[in-house]
Amino acid sequence: MKRLLAWWTEERRAYLLLVLPGVLVYWAVMAFPTVFSLGLSMTNYNGGVIFGNPNIQFVGLRHYLRMFNDRYFWISLKNNGLIMAISVFGQIPLGFLFAYVIHRKLIKFGDFFQTIIYLPCVISTIVVGRLWQSFFSPYGPFTKFMQTFQPGWENELAYDPQKAILPVLFVILWMYTGQYMIIFLANLQKIDPSLIEAARIDGASEWQVLTRIMLPALSGVIVTACILAISGSLKSFDLVYAMTAGNPARRTSVLALYMYDTAFKHSPNYPLANSISVFMVLLSFILIVLVRITEARFGGREE
Amino acid sequence: MLRKSTLLLLAVLLVVGIFAPAALAQEEKITITVLNYFDLTAPGAERELEEVWREFSRRNPHIIVEREDLFLEAFHQKVEAYAAADRLPDVVFMWPGGRSTSLHTLGLVKDLRPLLGDDAQYFNPAVLAPQAAGYLAELPSTMTSSHALYINVPLLESLGLSIPETYEELVAMVPVIKGAGLDVILMGAQEDWVIQSCLFSMIVGRLVGDEKLHEIIRGEAKFTDPEFVNALEFYAQMYKDGVLDRKIMNINYSEVNGLFASGRAPFMIDGDWKTANFLTDVTTGEALIPVDQQPNFKMTIFPAIPGEITKKSSSGVVGTGYGMSSKIPDGSPKEAAAWELIKWLQSKEVQTMRLETAGTIPSRIDVTSDNIEPLVVERIRYYDDIEVYTEVLDNVLEGEVYLPLNVGLQEIGLGLATPMEVAERVQEALEAWRAKRQ
Repeated sequence: MKRLLAWWTEERRAYLLLVLPGVLVYWAVMAFPTVFSLGLSMTNYNGGVIFGNPNIQFVGLRHYLRMFNDRYFWISLKNNGLIMAISVFGQIPLGFLFAYVIHRKLIKFGDFFQTIIYLPCVISTIVVGRLWQSFFSPYGPFTKFMQTFQPGWENELAYDPQKAILPVLFVILWMYTGQYMIIFLANLQKIDPSLIEAARIDGASEWQVLTRIMLPALSGVIVTACILAISGSLKSFDLVYAMTAGNPARRTSVLALYMYDTAFKHSPNYPLANSISVFMVLLSFILIVLVRITEARFGGREE
Repeated sequence: MLRKSTLLLLAVLLVVGIFAPAALAQEEKITITVLNYFDLTAPGAERELEEVWREFSRRNPHIIVEREDLFLEAFHQKVEAYAAADRLPDVVFMWPGGRSTSLHTLGLVKDLRPLLGDDAQYFNPAVLAPQAAGYLAELPSTMTSSHALYINVPLLESLGLSIPETYEELVAMVPVIKGAGLDVILMGAQEDWVIQSCLFSMIVGRLVGDEKLHEIIRGEAKFTDPEFVNALEFYAQMYKDGVLDRKIMNINYSEVNGLFASGRAPFMIDGDWKTANFLTDVTTGEALIPVDQQPNFKMTIFPAIPGEITKKSSSGVVGTGYGMSSKIPDGSPKEAAAWELIKWLQSKEVQTMRLETAGTIPSRIDVTSDNIEPLVVERIRYYDDIEVYTEVLDNVLEGEVYLPLNVGLQEIGLGLATPMEVAERVQEALEAWRAKRQ
C-alpha cells in the first residue's frame, strides 16, 4: 500500500490525466479499427451482426490471395505508385522551389504568388475534381484550346487507358504543391539569416547557399513532407472519384477507390475490402520506414 | 364555502385536464426513419419536398418523419452500411432487384402484399409481381424502360437525315453526322453501369432473348455461347462503325444532359428517366430544353439490329419504390405509420405530381394530368413504340456477376478486351457465385 501511494504521486496523476484521454481516443478511432480490420480480413463475414454471429468463420489469407490475383488491384497499385511519385518527386521539389524563391525574394510580389499557389488547398476537392474533369473533358476548354492550334485534334487524354491518369496527376500536382510550399516557407523562416549573410560574405553563390545551408537544415522537414506525401498518396480517393470515378474500365482507379468499390458497390465483400485496407496500412508503414532510413543515412542535421 | 380538500381536488383535475390530453398526444407520436433516394438538383425537387414530404407531415401530425436524402453512389453506400450494421431505417427506397438484391434476399424488408390488401385494385397488376426474392418487397411507383434513343429531330433533319429504322441506316448516317463536326450518339457512360443498363441490356434482349438469358442464369447454358458472344460482338462493332465513340466513357452522367440539349449530337442513349433532367424547374422557371423546344425531341427504341430474334424491344423493369424494414413488429402502431407513409408515397396525389414534374409513368391506373410538358407526353407516347420488354441485366444478375460485365463493356469499347474474353470472365463470375451459393 505504501509503495502504491509512493508511486501515485501528483506528477504521475497529472501525467495520466493529460495522456490518458489522448491514448483512449487514439485506441478507439485508430488502433482498434486497424486491428479489427486485420481480423475481419481473415473471416468470411459478409454483412449482418458481427459479434456473436455463428456463421463467421476464420478463412486465413484467402482474401489476400484473391486480392493479389485481381488485375484491378495491380492497376490501382500502379496508379498509387504514380501518385506517390508525383507527390514526392513533383510536389515536394516544386513546393521547396516556390518557397525558396519567395523566401529569398528572388521575385517581386512574393505574397501574391504565395496566396495563388496555396489557394487550391482551400477549395473543396470535389469542386476541384469536377472543374478539372470538365476542363479535360473531350468537350471542355482544354480540347478547344488545343484545337485552335491543331484543328481536328482529338482529346484522347481522358479515355486513352494509358494516358487517362495524366490529368489526375496534373491536378494532384497543381492542388497540393501549395501545401508543401507553406511548410517549407515556415521552416525557411526559422533559419538564422546571419548564417546566409555570412556565407554570402564568404563568397558563396546562391546555389551553394541552397545546397550547403538550406537543404541540410531542412532535411527533417523534407522527411516529414515525404511522410505526408506518401500517406496522402495512399489514401487518394476524393479527387480521383470526382474526376474519373476510377474509369475508364478502372484504369484510373487507386487502392482506396478499389477498396470502396469492393466494400460498397455492386456486391459488397467486406473481408476483401478489409484486406485491401490492411495492405494499404502495411505499405504505408514500410514506405515511411524506408524514408526514415534514407534520412538517417543521407540527411543533414537540423539546427 | 368549499372545503380545502374539494379545492385541492378541483385544482388537480384542472391540471390533469389541461396537461393530460397533451401528454397523451405526445405519447401517440411515432417516429419513422426514412432513407430516401433523391436528387436535390433535379427540376421539381422543391415541389417534391413541399407536396410529398411536408404535405405528409401536415396530414399526419402524429407521425414524425426523420428523412435522409441521398443520391447515386452515396445512397447505395449508405444502404449497404446500414444493412451491414443491421440498422436499416424503417422505410427505405429500393429497386425491385439489382442494387437492392441483398435487401430482398436477406429478408431485411417485409412483404407488402398483405398490407396492400384491397388497394391492389388501384395498381397496374404487372407492377405487383413478385420481386427478387419472390415477394413484394417494395411498392413500385412506375414502370421504367432502361433504354431509349433520344433524337434531336431538327438537328437530324438539318443534315438531310431522318429517324433510322434499321442499324444499317444508322451506320450510313455516320459520315454525314461526323462530317458536320458532330458526334453520333451521346452517352454519359463514365460510370460503368450506364452502358450495360441503358444499351447492352437492350442488345441482349434483341439478340439473345430472355429465354436464353434465364437458361444461362440457371446454368443450362453459358455466357460463352454464340448468342451472348454475338451480342458483345455487335456492341464492339458499334465502335468500329463509328456509331459509338470512346469519348462516351469520359462523359459524366449529368454532363451529357447539357451536351445533348445544346445539340452536340442528334442522338443520345439513356434510360427513359432522363427526360426529368430536361424539364422546367418550377423554382427557377428554367429548363435545359425549354417547353417551346421540347416538341423537337423524340424518343424511340434502337433501330432493328441485324439477326435480332426479338423485334421492337427495349429493356425494362418495374420501377423503384419504398420498402419497410422487417424489424418493425407486425400489427404495431409503427407498422401502421410506416405503411401510411409508403401508401402516401404511391398515392394518386404523389404519382400525379411525379408525372407532372418528372414524367414518371405511374404504376397506378387512376392517375392522369393535363399539366404536363411536351417531353413528358413524348415519354408516355414512347411506350407505344415498345412491343416487347426484356430484362435489364443488372436487375437479374448478382452484383459479382454483372460487375465484370460492366467493366468488360468499357474494356471492349477501349480495345482492351475481346468479346469472348469478357464473356469468359462473366461466365467465370457466374460459376463462382453459384459455387458460393451451394
